[in-house]
Amino acid sequence: MGLKSHFERRRRDTRWVVAMLALLLGLLTFFYYLVQRGRDLPTTLVTNQVLLFVLRNANALLILVILFVLVRNLLKLWLERRNRALGARFKTKLVATYVGLALVPVLALFVYASELLQGSIDRWFSGSLRGVLEQSFAIAQELQQEIAERDSRDAGRLARQVQPQDLADPRAREALARRLAAWRQELDADLVALYDETEFVHAVLDPSSGLEDLPEVGRSFLLEAAESGRAQRVVVPTGGRGRLILSGAASERPTGQRRVVVAVGTLLDPATAERTARLIEAYQGYRQLEVQKGQFKASYLLMFVLVTLVILLASSWLGLFLARRLMAPIQALAEGTRKISSGDLDHRIEVDADDEMAGVVDSFNAMTEELARNRALIENKQRELLDANRRLDGERARLSAILANLAAGVIALDGEARVVAANGAAQRMLRQREEELVGRRLAEAWADPERARLGALLGGAPGAGARAPVQVSLVLGGERRTFEAKVTELPADGGQPAGRILVLEDLTELIRAQKLAAWTEAARRIAHEIKNPLTPIRLSAERLRARSREHEGAPPALPALVEEAVEIIVREVGTMQGLVDEFSRYARMTGPQLAATPIDRLVQEVLALYREVKPGVEVVAGGGGAGEAWVDAEQIRRVLINLIDNAVEATAAPGRIEVSTGRRADTITLAVADSGRGVAPEDRDKLFLPFFSRKGRGTGMGLAIVHRIVSEHAGTIRVGDNAPRGTVFTVELPAGGRAGA
Amino acid sequence: MGVIRALLLVGLAAAAARGPAIRDLAIARSGVQILISFQLVGGFDRELSARLDSGLPTGFVYDLELLRDRKRWSDALLERSRIEVVAMYNAVTGEYLVNTKQDGRLLSSRTVRERRELEAAMTRLQAQPVFTVDRPSPEERYLVRARVELAPGEVLGFIPVRRTSSWVESNKVRIRG
Repeated sequence: MGLKSHFERRRRDTRWVVAMLALLLGLLTFFYYLVQRGRDLPTTLVTNQVLLFVLRNANALLILVILFVLVRNLLKLWLERRNRALGARFKTKLVATYVGLALVPVLALFVYASELLQGSIDRWFSGSLRGVLEQSFAIAQELQQEIAERDSRDAGRLARQVQPQDLADPRAREALARRLAAWRQELDADLVALYDETEFVHAVLDPSSGLEDLPEVGRSFLLEAAESGRAQRVVVPTGGRGRLILSGAASERPTGQRRVVVAVGTLLDPATAERTARLIEAYQGYRQLEVQKGQFKASYLLMFVLVTLVILLASSWLGLFLARRLMAPIQALAEGTRKISSGDLDHRIEVDADDEMAGVVDSFNAMTEELARNRALIENKQRELLDANRRLDGERARLSAILANLAAGVIALDGEARVVAANGAAQRMLRQREEELVGRRLAEAWADPERARLGALLGGAPGAGARAPVQVSLVLGGERRTFEAKVTELPADGGQPAGRILVLEDLTELIRAQKLAAWTEAARRIAHEIKNPLTPIRLSAERLRARSREHEGAPPALPALVEEAVEIIVREVGTMQGLVDEFSRYARMTGPQLAATPIDRLVQEVLALYREVKPGVEVVAGGGGAGEAWVDAEQIRRVLINLIDNAVEATAAPGRIEVSTGRRADTITLAVADSGRGVAPEDRDKLFLPFFSRKGRGTGMGLAIVHRIVSEHAGTIRVGDNAPRGTVFTVELPAGGRAGA
Repeated sequence: MGVIRALLLVGLAAAAARGPAIRDLAIARSGVQILISFQLVGGFDRELSARLDSGLPTGFVYDLELLRDRKRWSDALLERSRIEVVAMYNAVTGEYLVNTKQDGRLLSSRTVRERRELEAAMTRLQAQPVFTVDRPSPEERYLVRARVELAPGEVLGFIPVRRTSSWVESNKVRIRG
C-alpha cells in the first residue's frame, strides 16, 4: 500500500514537473514577448515609472522565490546526505553535474549578455547618437525659432506703425483693418492680429492657410507681450492640423497710453509640424531614457539574473527529478532487501519501469517468492522436527525416569565398549559414581579384578539378541554382592558397531533373605525338636542324682561321679535350653511396633550402659542430629546393644568405639565403628547368618537378630572396614518408619 | 571615540543641511480654515532638472499634519493631508504643465514657460487653505508640521527606498470660531 502510494505520488510528481516546466517555458516566452513588444511600445509607457517599479519588484520577488526553491532543494539534498539517505550521494552527483553543466555556460552567457547590454545601453547614449538627436532637436527648434523671430520682428514693426493710431476711432479702425490685410499679404503670414493690450481689435487670416478660426492666443501671451515687449507661443489651431507659431510684439508705451500688441502667426503645415514634433519627441524620449539609464540597466540585469536563476533552478530540478526517477527502483530494491533481511518475505517490489531495472525487479520478486516458499517448507519441517524432538524428549524423560526408578541396574554400552549410560541402581550396585562410568571405556571403568569379571561377561563376539542370564558374585567395597547379569545385544545401526545392554539384578538381599528364612525355619524346628526332650533329660538326671544320694550302699566313688555327671547334664541341658529359647525367640520374633523415637537420646541411653565396660576401651558418641524416627525403640536398642557388644568383644585395649548418628533426607544413619581386629572379607557375607560366630562362644544369633530387625524396619545394614583399622557397621533406617519386610 | 562621534554628527548634519528641506513654514487662520505657507529649498537639483527637461512627470509630495499643541499627550494629530505637485515639460511648445493636487483632488493646473516660474510653482505654497477646523477650541493652540517626499531612491540598484525630509513645525495659532 505504502509502495503503491509512493509510486502514485511519483506519477503525480512527474505530471507536476511537466506542468512546472511548461509554465516555466510559458513564462520565458511571455518575457521574451514582452521584451520584443517593448520595442514597439511608446516611450512614455516604457519609461513609465510605475511600470519600471512593478517590473523591478516583480523581478526581485521572483528572484527571492527562485532562490528559496533552489536553496530548499539544495538544503534537502544536504540533509539527505547528512542522514546518509540511500541515493543521496548519487542525487548530489547528478544534481551537481546538471547544475555544473548549466552553471558554466549560463554564467558565461549572463556575464557576456550583461556586458553586451551595458555596452548597448551605453552606446544608446554615445556621442554620435546624442549628437544626431541634439542636432535634429536643434534644427526643429531653430525652425520654429527662426519663424518666431521673423514674425516677432514683423509684429514689432507693425506695432510701431499702429501705435500712433487712435484705436478708439471707428474710422481709424477701418483703415487699420485694410492695412492689416495688406500687411498680412506683404508678410505672407497666416495670421495678423491687433490688440489694444489685452483687448482684441482686429485680425486677418490667410484664407488659404487652412486656419478655420482665429486661435485663442491667451491672456498670458498678451500680458507677456505687453509687459516684456514680446512673446512667443506654439499652439495647436482649431481642427488640430499643423502647428501655429505665434509671435507677439508690443509697441513702446507712450505716456498715458495703452500698448498696442500685434500678433503674427505662421502655420506650419501638418507634415512639417509632424516631422518637427517627432524630432523633438525623439530627443525627449532619448533624454528620458538617459535619465532612466540606471533603472533600465538594473531592470535588464534583474531580468538576466532571473533567467539565469530559472535555468539553474530548472537544471537542478531536472537533476533531482532524474535522480529520483533513477533512484526509485534502486531505493525500492534496497528497501525490499532490508525488509527481506528483517524477515518480511511477503514484501514485493512494484516499480513502473520497462527497462533493465524491470528485469532486476522481477528477478528480485521471483527470488523473494522462492525464499518465502522455502522458508514455509523449512518452517513446516522445523515444526515437525520440533514435535518429534519433543516426543523424543518425552520418551527420553520417561525412559530416564523408568531407568532411574528401576531396581535393576542398567548399563548401556556403544559398539566400542564405551559406557553411554548407567542408571542410579547400577551406580549403587557397582559402588561407582556416574562420572566413573559414563563416557569411559569398559576396560577403564572396570579395571579392578572384581569388576573386570563383570566386564568379561560383556565380551565375546557380537550377536543380536539376549544372552542367557548369568549369576555373578563380586566383592565390592569389602562386601560380597551377588548379581544376576543379563547382556542384550543391540542391533547394528547404519554400519556402526552394535552396542550392548547389561541389566544387573542384585540378588544379595534376596539370597540373604532366603537363607534367613531357611535358618529361621531351621531354628524353629530345632527349637521344637530339641526343646521337648530336654525337660525329661533334665528331670531324669535330677532324679538320678536324688536316688544316688538316697542309696547308701553304692561304692564311695559313685555318688561323686553321679553328682558330677548330673551336674554336667543339668548344666548342658540348661545351656541347650537357653540356646533353644534363643532359637525360639528368633523364630517367633514379632514385627516392630513403630513409634516416634528420639534416636540421639536412645543412643545416649544405650551408651550409658557401656561406660567403663572394658578397661582401656573408650565408647563414645559421635555425629548427632538424627532427630526423631518412627522405629521400635526396644528393637533398635537391641540392635545397638548387639553391635556394641560385638565391638567391645572385638576391641582390645587401648581401643575406641564410636557410635555416631546422622540424618540424610528421610534416612537416619547409625554407625558403630571400632578399632578392633576387623572382619575378614570372606566372612562378611556370612556375618548376618544365624549361628555364625568367630568368637568361639555365644549362639551366633546376635548379628542375625540385628539384620532381621533392620530388615523388618525396611532398612539396610552394611559392614565395612574402619580406618585405620577395625570394622564399621552402618545401619540406615527410614525416618518415617516403613516396617514390614 | 568622542572625536569619531563628533565627526559623524557633523557629517550627518552637513548631509542633512545639503538635502531638501522645508523652510518658512507658517500658518495663519482665515475663519476656521488654516492657511499654510512654506518654501522648499534644495529640492531643485541637477537630477531633478534633467528629469524635468526629459519630459518625465516629476514632482514633490508634501505631507502636512495639523496638530494640537499638546506636549504631554499622544493624540495631538487632528488631520493629515498630502499635496502633490507634478510638472511635465512639453518640448514642442516649450511649456511646463504644473498640476497641484490635494489628497488626490486637483487644486490647480497651470502652464509656465520659465524655469524660475516652474521652481516657484513647485516649491512654494502661499496661504494655501489646507485644513478646516470645524469646532475649534479657544483654549488650544494649533500648529502644522510638514515634510517633503522626494522621488524614491534605490539601494543596490533595484530596491526602492523612500526619501523624505525631516518634519518641520510651524508657528502656533489660536482659532476662534
